[in-house]
Amino acid sequence: MQHVALSSFDKGRCEPFFDRLTDYFHQHHHSEEGDAESYEELLYRVRRPYTTQMLDMIDAWMGLEKRDWREETQREVMLALYAIRYPDTLLIESFTENARSNLPRLSAYLHFTNHTYAIWDEDTRRGLVKLGIDIPATEVADPFVYGAYVSAIELLKDVAPFTCFLEHDVPRQRLFQAALAAYGRE
Amino acid sequence: MADAEVVGDYTQNFEVWIDDFNEWQTRIGFDPSWLGDYRFDIKFDWDTAGSHIEFGDFKGKPKWERRMQIPQQTIRDAIVNMVSVQGDTEFASVEQQNHLLASAPTEYDRKSALRIMCEEQRHGWQMAYLLCTFFGEQGVREAAKLLERNAQEGTRILGSFNEPIDHWLDFFMFTHFIDRDGKYQLKMLSTSSFKPLAASMGPMLKEESFHLGTGANGLRRIVKQGVIPCALVQKYVNKWVSTGLDLFGTDDSASAQWAYVYGVKGRYDEREAQEPAAREHLNEASRELYFQELRDEMRRISKVRKKGEPALYIPSDKFKRGIGKFAGKRYTVHGEDFEGDEVAWEEYLSSVLPSDEDEDRLINEYMEQEWIQYREWKGD
Repeated sequence: MQHVALSSFDKGRCEPFFDRLTDYFHQHHHSEEGDAESYEELLYRVRRPYTTQMLDMIDAWMGLEKRDWREETQREVMLALYAIRYPDTLLIESFTENARSNLPRLSAYLHFTNHTYAIWDEDTRRGLVKLGIDIPATEVADPFVYGAYVSAIELLKDVAPFTCFLEHDVPRQRLFQAALAAYGRE
Repeated sequence: MADAEVVGDYTQNFEVWIDDFNEWQTRIGFDPSWLGDYRFDIKFDWDTAGSHIEFGDFKGKPKWERRMQIPQQTIRDAIVNMVSVQGDTEFASVEQQNHLLASAPTEYDRKSALRIMCEEQRHGWQMAYLLCTFFGEQGVREAAKLLERNAQEGTRILGSFNEPIDHWLDFFMFTHFIDRDGKYQLKMLSTSSFKPLAASMGPMLKEESFHLGTGANGLRRIVKQGVIPCALVQKYVNKWVSTGLDLFGTDDSASAQWAYVYGVKGRYDEREAQEPAAREHLNEASRELYFQELRDEMRRISKVRKKGEPALYIPSDKFKRGIGKFAGKRYTVHGEDFEGDEVAWEEYLSSVLPSDEDEDRLINEYMEQEWIQYREWKGD
């Protein structure tokens, strides 16, 4: 999946996006929906040892309904948050169905605990598609689809000119993911 | 795709230097296990480096890719000097800061500081790689010196990089003011006639932006929290701004002029500038842009202060300068001539710069409280 999604990457097609990346970031991150202040607070509030209250805080910011997880599901996800090493996504494959049922939720947990993983978001995926990086839509946490999504954002970080990198202390993945979300919606 | 490159094979010179680097890490107390999966990649962005010399007397000729293409020894020396100074600052900042990891106010601050230190070390690697790979014995000698000079001993090349960073207020001041100077230096080298140097700058600038963001947001969080009075924060601003301004070098600098003539180091806005460069006043021009940026940033930071707190400001560029036409002269933080004798001057300085009592109050009174937004984490 990663190979297929990224092998036909055309940097030239990204130039208009790179030219306006900082505007796109502000459009999304500082929108009412983006709630920048709560996002930035979460970066500081979510810390080791992780607790279910921290996951609740992430769910609240994401606008997700309460998790309907059994104790074991909660435990396996919590353990994975400690164990996972960027950019690995294959660990997701070992999760039970319930834990894998909501990719935006799981990706947000990964983002706020590890900072390097990007939040899965349908607008962001559309943004990648507009750049020629064709990643299929999904609700379920497929490790290969999410792996391609994570790698694609990493690739964009690599090839973007330095002028795209705002003087901001949010993770660089967030800069690109938020900008892609605004671009995908446009 | 892009012409970005991560170097896979190193020369023997550089391999030997890496052994020295590992010893340096141990010597300064930086535990390599803190790096986790972080790798010190050597990165070049050939795409943005440009193919032809962009300014100076060699303008229009192909950029130099190897030492032997550089037409004069004086130019080679100038490049070695630029790379050495840049590399020196990268390792110095890690020496200054790594002890702070144990007292980070939050886990995210600790991670951010660690990332900054990892990236500064990578920048140092990049400079050492250029020296070892392109400049023969001379380069190898200079690369070794990058690890021999030491900030704690006060032997780093530039003044700011020998200043102690005793606490997190200093850390945020440093990343805001001194790393911002770093951004200027990197951008000025990004158009260099020596292509491997120019191509090194894009990836470094990408990383530097996070460092500046960390500094600015750290200061904003402190001011917003309102535990440390703005009057005290102002004293630290006064302390760091003058040293930041000095980093741009002397006024009417002949070496800056020669670097421009050689095409080695341009203006901060070299590619955007419409006017020809005032070659005799290159440092002053860059310093002025930096100074203006500091004022804009401080206005933003000051906006979040609590009601009743005085506005924060950037002191005059004449105040307590160690380099340039104002060096050694007495001016107030507002740029007025100071009237008074030596004793009065010392008294004045202790009223506008952090004193021992201020340091004591900061650490033992304010920093014992919730002095910065989101402070909850108390270590592992």
